[in-house]
Amino acid sequence: MGERLFELLFKYRPVAFERGELVLTPPWPLAAVLALGGLVLAASLAAYLRPRQPLGRRERLGLAALRAGTIGVLVFCLAGPALRVATVVPQQNFLGILLDDSRSMRIADQDGRSRGAVAAEAFAPEGPLLQALGKRFKLRLFRFSETLGRLDSAGALGWAGRRTDLAGALAAAQRELAAVPLAGLVVVTDGADNARGSLAEPLLSLAAERVPVHVVAVGGPVLSPDVELGRASAPRAVVRGTSVAVELSLKAAGLGGREVPLTVEDGERLLATTTVRLPRDGEPTTVRAHFVADEAGPRRLRFSIPTQPGELTPENNAVEAVLLVERRRERILYFEGEPRFEVKFLRRAITGDENLHVVVLQRTAEDKFLRLDVEDSTELAAGFPRTRAELFRYRGIVLGSVEASFFTHDQHQMLADFVSVRGGGLLALGGRLAFGEGGWAETPLADALPIVLEPPPAGDTTPFFTQVPVELTPAGRDHPVTQLRADPAASAARWDSLPPLSLINPVRDAKPGATVLLTGRGAGGSYVVLATQRYGRGRAVAFPVQDSWIWQMHADIPLEDQAHEALWRQLLRFLVSEVPEPVAAQVSADRIEPGRPVTISAEVSDSGYMRLNGADVRATVVDPAGGERQVPLRWTVRRDGEYEGTFVPTAAGLHEIRIEARQGDALLGTASAYVEAGDVGAEFFDAGVQEATLHRVADETGGRYYTPATIRTLPEDVSFTESGATVVEHRDLWDMPILLVLLLGFLSVEWAWRRRRGLA
Amino acid sequence: MRFGAWAPVLTLLATGAGSPAAPPERAPVRDFPDGYPDGRAFYFTRAVYSDAREWRRGSWSTDYPEADVHFVMGLERLTGVDAFEHEHPLPLDDPDLRRFPFLYAVEVGAMALTPAEVAGLRGYLLAGGFLFVDDFWGSYEWANFEAQMRLVLPEHPITELAMDHPLLRTFYTIDEVLQVPNVWQGIRGGPTWERDGYVPHLRGIFDERGRLMVLINWNSDAGDAWEHADNPYYPLHFGNYAYRLGVNAVLYGMSR
Repeated sequence: MGERLFELLFKYRPVAFERGELVLTPPWPLAAVLALGGLVLAASLAAYLRPRQPLGRRERLGLAALRAGTIGVLVFCLAGPALRVATVVPQQNFLGILLDDSRSMRIADQDGRSRGAVAAEAFAPEGPLLQALGKRFKLRLFRFSETLGRLDSAGALGWAGRRTDLAGALAAAQRELAAVPLAGLVVVTDGADNARGSLAEPLLSLAAERVPVHVVAVGGPVLSPDVELGRASAPRAVVRGTSVAVELSLKAAGLGGREVPLTVEDGERLLATTTVRLPRDGEPTTVRAHFVADEAGPRRLRFSIPTQPGELTPENNAVEAVLLVERRRERILYFEGEPRFEVKFLRRAITGDENLHVVVLQRTAEDKFLRLDVEDSTELAAGFPRTRAELFRYRGIVLGSVEASFFTHDQHQMLADFVSVRGGGLLALGGRLAFGEGGWAETPLADALPIVLEPPPAGDTTPFFTQVPVELTPAGRDHPVTQLRADPAASAARWDSLPPLSLINPVRDAKPGATVLLTGRGAGGSYVVLATQRYGRGRAVAFPVQDSWIWQMHADIPLEDQAHEALWRQLLRFLVSEVPEPVAAQVSADRIEPGRPVTISAEVSDSGYMRLNGADVRATVVDPAGGERQVPLRWTVRRDGEYEGTFVPTAAGLHEIRIEARQGDALLGTASAYVEAGDVGAEFFDAGVQEATLHRVADETGGRYYTPATIRTLPEDVSFTESGATVVEHRDLWDMPILLVLLLGFLSVEWAWRRRRGLA
Repeated sequence: MRFGAWAPVLTLLATGAGSPAAPPERAPVRDFPDGYPDGRAFYFTRAVYSDAREWRRGSWSTDYPEADVHFVMGLERLTGVDAFEHEHPLPLDDPDLRRFPFLYAVEVGAMALTPAEVAGLRGYLLAGGFLFVDDFWGSYEWANFEAQMRLVLPEHPITELAMDHPLLRTFYTIDEVLQVPNVWQGIRGGPTWERDGYVPHLRGIFDERGRLMVLINWNSDAGDAWEHADNPYYPLHFGNYAYRLGVNAVLYGMSR
């Protein structure tokens, strides 16, 4: 509406003024025109200095201004105003039209029609748009999704592309048309670019060549009704039997507040179902899916929400992830400074668990130790490890009731390094010799622990004691450690019914970066019962109770109850999950489309977990058919011990990546990772029109932004270009309707005013 | 299963041909003005149970509380156990029993458990509790005890403890099973046996994973040795052995 009014008043559309330049082409010398205008103006003003009727100063000035406006408009017209604008020479230039051929164009959010159908109709060979463009340009049609290809007509589009690479398409089109006079590009798309390519370079190149890119955005910015499960944030690998919590981003439109089931499947096997509440429009949220990883090997997990009635894109209701479930036995050292029942019941809790191996070193008397479940007679024969290599053999450490003064300074540093450098998990239990009561407040380990340690008050010899019913915190409700039941709600209910435990270490505060999972209210206030935090490469956990075994022995606990066992199995698994080996492998994506590059990275350390830069690191990629290829990994220089290499999966299916690192003839270690190549359905995620991206494309190249509703003016707009074979036109402006309106306006007001004052 | 066939008959005789068992006298617990002393790592808990005898305080209280207190003193001196210093008796049908996973029972030759005590002890052992049985002699008492255990843990047989069992290596190394006599026979210099209990045995009841739930010190009296270890006339080696066995039992019960 605004643009039409503009064209009515100013004779030409705004784009002509945007692209053109105002020039004056007077029929006489400009000085003569100005002089003539000046004389007429002076004579007119002089007449108002001697009016027939007495006039006030304000009236004289007002009437003089109106007369000056009239003369000004006339002088402007006599000066011969014109727009100097470059326009294409008909049929001398090429126009590239790029039509999106990706699957997101199938989305039917255009009043029941698909985006692709709307675009195909607009750019139909016999349609008015293409006809009008064809009169001005030589047209070149392209389709694009992953790649760019020539197209005979829009009717040949199939919208089967699995990925949209807008940057790649623009660059390829510019290359394709580099040898011809190119007037511009027209891109017809929803802008749902999922190739993650940078637009900066192709846009700079097009702008430098003065090739405008006009964008026709097809589709709505928000799909409604729709449910979209976003990226699944799952651990790379876990030990078999681990309770896993996977975070998923969830968006919805038009369905806010509805409760829907979220299911987790491993192939044909249903692992878990939970109920989630859909968020309101425009408020993405995070939901968690819990399940137990009970089968070893690389697991292809699928998280899904059923299709809702009327939903536009059911394809984005599911997301997949690859999780490596390892069968390994995690070696954990439990050092207990005194005989306690916690040892007995912790060991019993994990009895029969093939994936947890807790080696116990228990001080039974002064300088006398009991070793349980050691591998051989030499393990821990000299007591607590005195070297890093000896300590770093373990992936986790449980520290019981033992005073800080038991350890040497080196051992204290080793314990802190075990977490921060080696990346191990450390769990500190409560007890009369633990935490502040054991003198740990000023040790290096105090920094690693997630709680604030304070020494007991000086002079107070009364031992602290309180019993605390344990409460789940909001973080604890969704944490894998505290899932006592498969269903989070049932798990929370079980926590509410567990008997109280006793505390003899008054730990009240967690550190700012810690996650508190359990608290308890006892004598004197609230206490931290279970908290965790990352520290360096590893993880530290504090569990300041002294008798978790009560949850096994208490008379209210049925014999068949597994709460105590479940807690300890999950807690120890959590402790050692994500603990790196000397050689650790990662891939840039666990699911990817065939043909897309995958970056393999490896972290390589020696047995003391000092990072190594001079290692020989190789990856063997095993494709789904069993074929192998070698990929050398090179030191990245960015970080010590980090190596990278790239491979491109060509076949669909699971690819295994085996990494081997050597230093000379010595094997430093091996690691594995998995990549699933296949249809990742990227086209249906974030599939709303990407208006910001498309505006940027148009703005940075001098193009314009259209929708199917405004596309009518495209042929004329595209004509104004400085690219290709162009001619410069002068378009008269003296006959713009706005000038007539101004002229009549000035004269009418002046006449009416004069008449009212008796001057006319 | 040597005694299994005679067990029901002997049990019947021992319990007075079906007459109700004498209820255990209320355990004499010290008075703690500040309330029950909580928070210790270990409580030497004595089992208070019903029996068929008509002793004033019941069979359970033999050598009580001196044996308990003396043993706890020794335990604290010899090991790093943070033990409650006093006696700590609890009935088998007390729900609080489950909070104390080590239990000591003596003179079980006349034990006659009520159904509530059977249920209490069964739950205690299956949940993870450890029972050390001491000071009962001869085949008659064995048969009664065995019959009582059949009521408690019918699915778990009683077997001889192998000399390489970890309990005998947990803290001290015990290479032979000694017959520890009661204080009077020990001071007199013999004999060491009572009734027909000529040969001492260490036997056990194991759970399905082979962990010892019940340690049975038959034809031997560690409790008397603990109680009278400070008697200069009581032979030192019996006291030593009794403490070694008791310490090993406690540490085993706290770690396995």
